[in-house]
Amino acid sequence: MMAAWPLLGRRVRLAVPGVAPNASLLEALGDAVLPAELGPDGTTRAVTAFQRWMDGYRPGAEANHGYGTGRIDRVPADPRPQWRAQLAALDTEARRGGNSFASLSRERRQAIVRTTLAGERGESLPSPLAARHVAVALLAHFYESSLATDMCYDAQIGRQQCRPLAAQAQQPVALARRPR
Amino acid sequence: MTNVRRSGRAEVIESDICIIGSGITAAMVAEKIAEERQARIVVVEAGDETVPAPARAGGRARFLAYGENPWGNDHIDGMTADGIQSRSMQVGGLAMHWGGVTPRFSPEDFRVKSLYGVGHDWPVSYDDLEPFYHEAEERIGVAGEQGPAEMDPRSKPFPMPALPLTYNLERLKGWTDSAGIAMWSQPSAKNSVAYRGRAVCCRNDTCSPVCPVGAKYSPDFTWSALRASKRVDLLTRTLVRRLVVEPGSNRVVRAEAVRRDGGGGAGTPVEFRAKTFVVAAGYAWSPHLLLLSRSDRFPNGLANRSGTVGKYMTGHRNVSAFVKLPLRLYPGMNEQHSLVTKQFMRTGKLDRYVRHDLRVWESSVGRRPRLKGDDGSILLGDDLMADWRRRSTEGTARVRAYYDVIPDRESALTLHESATNQYGDPQPRLTFRDSPESAALRGYTEDSIKALFQRMARAGNGEIIRSGVDDFQDHPAGGCRMGADPATSVVDSHGRAHDHENLFVVGAPTSVSGGCANATLTFLAVALRQATEIGKEFSARRM
Repeated sequence: MMAAWPLLGRRVRLAVPGVAPNASLLEALGDAVLPAELGPDGTTRAVTAFQRWMDGYRPGAEANHGYGTGRIDRVPADPRPQWRAQLAALDTEARRGGNSFASLSRERRQAIVRTTLAGERGESLPSPLAARHVAVALLAHFYESSLATDMCYDAQIGRQQCRPLAAQAQQPVALARRPR
Repeated sequence: MTNVRRSGRAEVIESDICIIGSGITAAMVAEKIAEERQARIVVVEAGDETVPAPARAGGRARFLAYGENPWGNDHIDGMTADGIQSRSMQVGGLAMHWGGVTPRFSPEDFRVKSLYGVGHDWPVSYDDLEPFYHEAEERIGVAGEQGPAEMDPRSKPFPMPALPLTYNLERLKGWTDSAGIAMWSQPSAKNSVAYRGRAVCCRNDTCSPVCPVGAKYSPDFTWSALRASKRVDLLTRTLVRRLVVEPGSNRVVRAEAVRRDGGGGAGTPVEFRAKTFVVAAGYAWSPHLLLLSRSDRFPNGLANRSGTVGKYMTGHRNVSAFVKLPLRLYPGMNEQHSLVTKQFMRTGKLDRYVRHDLRVWESSVGRRPRLKGDDGSILLGDDLMADWRRRSTEGTARVRAYYDVIPDRESALTLHESATNQYGDPQPRLTFRDSPESAALRGYTEDSIKALFQRMARAGNGEIIRSGVDDFQDHPAGGCRMGADPATSVVDSHGRAHDHENLFVVGAPTSVSGGCANATLTFLAVALRQATEIGKEFSARRM
C-alpha cells in the first residue's frame, strides 16, 4: 500500500472560502485522480490552476454563440457549492472506515472516487463546467490544458499558445529534448 | 464631411453616399470609394462599437476557459430572425467572428445552367470577377498557394505566401495524394507575414471566434483606418428602419432611422439624406429593410417589382466524416488550418449533377482523453493518461464537402406576421428550401460524397469513424439576387436596383447561388465590382 499523500499540508489560497471546495480535500482528490507522473509539485500546480479557474468563473455570463443560431445562451450556474458538497461526501465516505479522505492511500482514495463515479454517463470527459462531479471537473480541467497534450504526446506542441508560424511544418520536439 | 441639421423632431444627416451596415462588405465598398472618389460617405450601423483590439486577448482567455462570448455587445436584444441566422450586429458584423477562410468560387459556379442544365447562371462570369477577387485578396490580405492552374485559375499571385502546411497536414496530404486527390494550403485572410500594419499569425488557433493578435483580417481594421483618415463617418447604435422614395420619381430620398440612445426606449429619430443609398446589411437585414420599406405606393416593399425581394435565399450544405488513419498526428499544431481542393468543383460533363469542394483538417475525434475504458471502468491517475497515449498513436482526419443547393424561389425571407422588434417593426422569418431539382438530387449527391470519403479511407488503410450531413445551409446569401431581367431579379450585376436608380444592394444578398465553397471572398469580389459602379457617379479623387 502506498503512503498517504505527502503534500496535504500545502494549502492553496481560496478566494471565496465559503463557496469554494475545501483546499486540502481538493489536493487529496487531485493526487488521486491526476497522473502520478506530474509529481507532487505538478499536481499542486494543476490543483491550483483548477482553483484559480473556479475563482474566476462568472456564473450566467453570455456564452459564445457560433454561426447559424440566433440563440443567446448563458454559462451555467456556479458549480462550486455542489462540488464542495461532493468533496465533503468523499470525506464522509472515507471516515466510515475511520480515516479522513486526505489520509488514505492513493489507491483507497481512487477506489472511493471510482465508486462515486460509477453512475457517470458516457465515456468522454466533458468540459469542466459540464462535469456533474468535482472529480470529473478537475480531470477535465487538467486534460484540457496544453501541458496534458504535451505529456500525452511526449512532444512540445504548445496547443493554443502563441508560437512561431514557420515551426508548424516541423515535427514537434520531444519533451525530453526540450531546452531547459 | 457630412452635414447635420434638424428638421422637426428628426436630426438630418446629409452625405453623398449613405451605406447601411458596417460588415465586411460595407468596409470594402467604403474603402474603395473613399480611396477613388470624392464623396462624403456616412455609414450607419445599428449595433455598438466592437471590442477594441487590445482587449481581445483577454476575451479569448475567457472564451477558452469558460466558453464566454469574446465579443461583448455584439447583438441587439429583439433584433433576431425566426430561422437560421447568426447573431452579430456591431461594427464589423459577422466577420468579427469569421474563420478567415477565403477560397474563390470556380468558374463553373457562375454558369451552372449553361454547363449542367441546373439552377441559374449569374449575370457575371468568373472572368468578370477575377480582378475584383484579387483586389479583395489584397485589401483584406490573403495568404495562399496557387493550386494546379487547371483547377485554380488566377491572374496574379496571392498577396502573401501561403500559410505553411502543418506537420499534420503534410502527412494528410500524403494520404490524399494516395487517394488521387490534389490538395493544397487553404487560402486564408491570416497573415503569413506582417501585412498592412497587422501582425503575423502565431498559431493561437482560435481564429474563429477571435484572433488575439490581429493576424486575421476583420473589418474593424478597415473602419479604424477610414475613421482616422476622416474619409468616412461611421455612426453606431443607429437602426435604419425604412427607405423612402421621393414622390414623383423612383429615387430613394431618405433613410429613416432611430438612434437607440434616448427617446425613452422608442429611440431618437434621425434621417439620412444622400445622393446614393447602399444597402450592405448582409443576407438577412438587406432584404428585410427593403420589405420593411413598404408604403401605399410600394406595398410589397422597395425594389420589389419582380416580387423576388427576400426570395431565392441560398447556401451550401455540409457533408462531413471523421476518418481514422494509421498516422501519428499531433493535436493543436494549427487546427483551423486545412487542405483544400477544387478537383470536384471543376467537373466536365456530368450524367447527374454533383459538384462540391473538399477540405481536410486534423481532428481530435476519437483521440480525446476519456473517463471510461473499453470495458466501461472508470479511468483515473496514470490509467487515464496511459489510455490516452495508447489511442493517440494513430490519427483522425476530418473531411468535409460543401455541395451547392439550388435555391427554390420560395427559399425566402419574409416579414413575420406577429413578432416585432422594440420599435414595432416585423422581424424577419427565414425558410431555406431546395429547388425541386436540387431536392431530387440530394440523396444521390450525399451518397456520392460519402462514397468518396469511403474511397479516401481505404486509400489510407483507414476507416470512417462517423459521418453526417448538416440540416442547414451554410454561408447563406441571396434575397436580393442580381440578374439582367428586372422581372426575375432585384438588382443588376452592379447591384443597382432595377426599380430605383440611386439604390444599390451589395455583396451576399445579391448572390444567385451559394456555390460550393466558403463564400465571403466571392461576396467581396462582387461588392468591389459593384462599388466601381457606385463610385462612377462621383468625381475621381486626385491621387
